[in-house]
Amino acid sequence: MIYDCVIIGGGLAGLTCGIRCAEEGLRTVVISGGMNSLHFSSGSIDLAGFTENGSVVKKPFEHIKNNAAKKKDHPYTKVGIPAIRKSLDYFKEKVSDEGITLNHNSDFNHFHVTAIGAVKPTYLSQESVFSSRGKDIIKSGAKIAILNFKGFRDYYPEQTAANLKEHPLFKNSELMLGDISLPYYLHTEKNLHEFRSTDIARIFETERYLPRIADEIKRAAGDADAVSLPAFIGINNYREIRGKLEAMTGKFIYEIPTLPPSILGLRIDHAVKNSFFKHGGEYIAGKKIESSVIKKGIVESIITGSRGTSSEIKAKYYVLASGSFFSGGLQSGVSSISEPVFDLKVKGDSKRSKWYSWNFFDKKSHPFLSYGVETDSSFNPSTQDGKTVKNLFCAGSVLAGYNPVKEGCGGGVAISTGYKCAERIIREIKK
Amino acid sequence: MIKLENISFDHCIKCTVCTIYCPVAQATHLFPGPKQSGPDAERLRIKNPELVDASLKYCTNCKRCEIACPSDVKIAEIIQNAKWKYVKVHWFRPRDFFMSRTDLVGGLATIFSGLTNFIINLKVMKVLMHLFLNIPYSRKFPAYQRGTFTGLYKKKFMQSQKVYEKRAVFYHGCFVNYNNHSLGEDLIKVMNALGYGVDLVDEKCCGVPLIANGYIEKAKKNAQYNIDSLGKTGDAVIVSTSSSCSFALMHEYPSFLELDNSSYIDRLDYITKFIYDEFTAGNIPQMKAVGIRAAYHSPCHLERMGGVIYTLGVLKMVPGLDLVVLNSECCGIAGTYGFKKENYEISQGVGQNLFRLIEKAEPEFVVTDCETCTMQIEMNTKYKVLHPVTLIAMALEEKNKGKK
Ligand SMILES: Cc1cc2nc3c(=O)[nH]c(=O)nc-3n(C[C@H](O)[C@H](O)[C@H](O)COP(=O)(O)OP(=O)(O)OC[C@H]3O[C@@H](n4cnc5c(N)ncnc54)[C@H](O)[C@@H]3O)c2cc1C
Ligand code: SF4
Ligand code: SF4
Repeated sequence: MIYDCVIIGGGLAGLTCGIRCAEEGLRTVVISGGMNSLHFSSGSIDLAGFTENGSVVKKPFEHIKNNAAKKKDHPYTKVGIPAIRKSLDYFKEKVSDEGITLNHNSDFNHFHVTAIGAVKPTYLSQESVFSSRGKDIIKSGAKIAILNFKGFRDYYPEQTAANLKEHPLFKNSELMLGDISLPYYLHTEKNLHEFRSTDIARIFETERYLPRIADEIKRAAGDADAVSLPAFIGINNYREIRGKLEAMTGKFIYEIPTLPPSILGLRIDHAVKNSFFKHGGEYIAGKKIESSVIKKGIVESIITGSRGTSSEIKAKYYVLASGSFFSGGLQSGVSSISEPVFDLKVKGDSKRSKWYSWNFFDKKSHPFLSYGVETDSSFNPSTQDGKTVKNLFCAGSVLAGYNPVKEGCGGGVAISTGYKCAERIIREIKK
Repeated sequence: MIKLENISFDHCIKCTVCTIYCPVAQATHLFPGPKQSGPDAERLRIKNPELVDASLKYCTNCKRCEIACPSDVKIAEIIQNAKWKYVKVHWFRPRDFFMSRTDLVGGLATIFSGLTNFIINLKVMKVLMHLFLNIPYSRKFPAYQRGTFTGLYKKKFMQSQKVYEKRAVFYHGCFVNYNNHSLGEDLIKVMNALGYGVDLVDEKCCGVPLIANGYIEKAKKNAQYNIDSLGKTGDAVIVSTSSSCSFALMHEYPSFLELDNSSYIDRLDYITKFIYDEFTAGNIPQMKAVGIRAAYHSPCHLERMGGVIYTLGVLKMVPGLDLVVLNSECCGIAGTYGFKKENYEISQGVGQNLFRLIEKAEPEFVVTDCETCTMQIEMNTKYKVLHPVTLIAMALEEKNKGKK
């Protein structure tokens, strides 16, 4: 009983790869330690947001194409423009089957507001963040009410308002701030500020309080045409809820991600996981891969657990999609950077002082963000002795050669490399 | 004092992901959730044990928070520790005492099984239990069987097991011993088909219900008894059909109870892991198509052990089994938790998602590894629940019997 494909890491990269493999009928399992970084993300997929000198990219595909010659080691260069496009279309279709629509501004980036109120370019967003209707409303210079729920601590509307005011896109808009309160809270022992976004989302999901919430919004937003709310209006059935709220209030409803847990990211996480299950994939949660056996450039097995409870898992092909430092895909010692499962060759500085910039918000970002596993143009990595590992592929933020923050490209790299690895495995197996 | 090995709370990055996935926090606002009750409050409790608050009792120890945590914080363990280790429990609590003594109560009940089953489900008895023992009126109790599985084994199986050269010790646990002999019989059938003779050794309740009810010292005694007994079994493999007993024998003894189980840890497996390894090594008995559509529910503790992969692996080898794998949801019973009046509504609330998924899957049977999940599902849906081992036993061809 050997799997066709074992994927280590259940994030955007691993699951995109998994969906594609399972759809092709390969026996596929995703094994993941803790939850992925979608839980902390904005839920928008960045493709290419910033140029080398930090200015905003208008047309991401054009930017990628122009950079390809300069950046031979960039994952995008290895995937190639046609496959990047195909992977994003594929991804959009799969999450749409699970009830999440992702919109884009034809070939242009659009702006979204992040959890700390920054206005940033991105490529794919949920319809509450980007839609042609929303675009028209902003263009028309409409009045926008930025609302928060009274007592909710994981969101700062003042910051959002301050940043929007400075942004050229909103120069014609009139912005106002306001608070709403939820009737539900009158009947609970819990303190208002103890509620996290997920608690509130669950209250929205019951739909019991919608009419009263709509009244609150109308009261707080006055004659504004559009209302922004922290993203907590439901996880699974948010589309119906948003539709109902828009109908009840007669206002356009926009969502801004909150501090983690981020509901916008959670929706994408649930959608890709459901899609993976639907295509027959197996998902093993809470299990860390500790080590592996590699012989003659071929992975023979991977090993989980510690003494007495350890076990080997075997597959024809392996995908390493274990994320970056944050998710444990990469590790740092006192003066070394390593990849813990296969001990693959990594690219990074051995001098600790070179890993980061002293300025936390440095525009050039921190060098460690571009560290990762080195691979050849087929995403096969090599072991420390320089030998290529042929039945192992790497995808997502474990890869070297790009800086997701500085370039604004994390989601796009994860999806396109995950997809590309799947295509390679499918081709090998069907040979 | 802070023990260095117990500072996993310090790895917490305050992301609240654990709380999203806590089924109890979802069902009730009375429980602040794993982040707040675990790593957050632990910092305070270390300084002042009086800060242990009553809401900790809502945690079912399902460990879903630990599965979700990206920073490997042992959240449920922190909560269990806080529940019982800071406050010593001295007073006698009749309900918790009896509920946690599954072997004592089971031993008595099986002697008078007919009578027990009759009484325990009598209306008047239920009212009395509700009033005096705080056991919810609407709870159905597992039926007790006549006699014990150990007794049955001696009478019916001991002799026939001698012909096998390879030996396996079966840790049967309380449920097989008192409530479900046929699962024990199925286990013997499957092990024999794989060429193993089955032995039983002296054992006591694994301690899971004792830990859940705060009888830590008693749990330690039981654990030491089992460690001594299982440690003496040479190089025989040891299997258990209960995901929760396995979890305790493998993980809770060394980590929570701080006992050394190295004498057997390399030889013990939850049964589907054992069968999976045998199947993978090519030892696959003849099986016929079962022709069944079943929905699989993964128990929380098996998920925490990372054992679901093996149960699924084995089930996928059963011919003619149309398997629907249900999304991972907690059933809400959590051992003795759901049997208590104060938890009943929460327990049922937690289980709603799972019950809905089962109904939607329209199976003929539900399959799961855990005995209390089985009770909860049978009480709340119209389906009969099978253990994976029973399913394999159903698929075995008669002719395997001769295989030695
Ligand atoms: C906080 C944060 C916010 C971000 N926000 C955005 C955003 O808004 N938009 C955007 O486009 N990009 C964002 N990014 C960039 C992000 O890196 C990518 O978008 C993408 O989500 C990365 O996906 P991944 O699959 O490579 O890794 P991850 O999502 O990190 O997943 C890796 C998974 O592997 C598991 N794992 C690690 N090691 C092991 C092991 N040994 N065994 C088993 N499992 C293991 C981890 O538990 C984790 O679940 C963000 C990144 C971070 C860290
Ligand atoms: S063990 Fe289960 S009930 Fe307890 S805090 Fe964790 S997720 Fe919640
Ligand atoms: S999931 Fe882990 S890191 Fe996050 S808040 Fe919970 S315990 Fe802390």
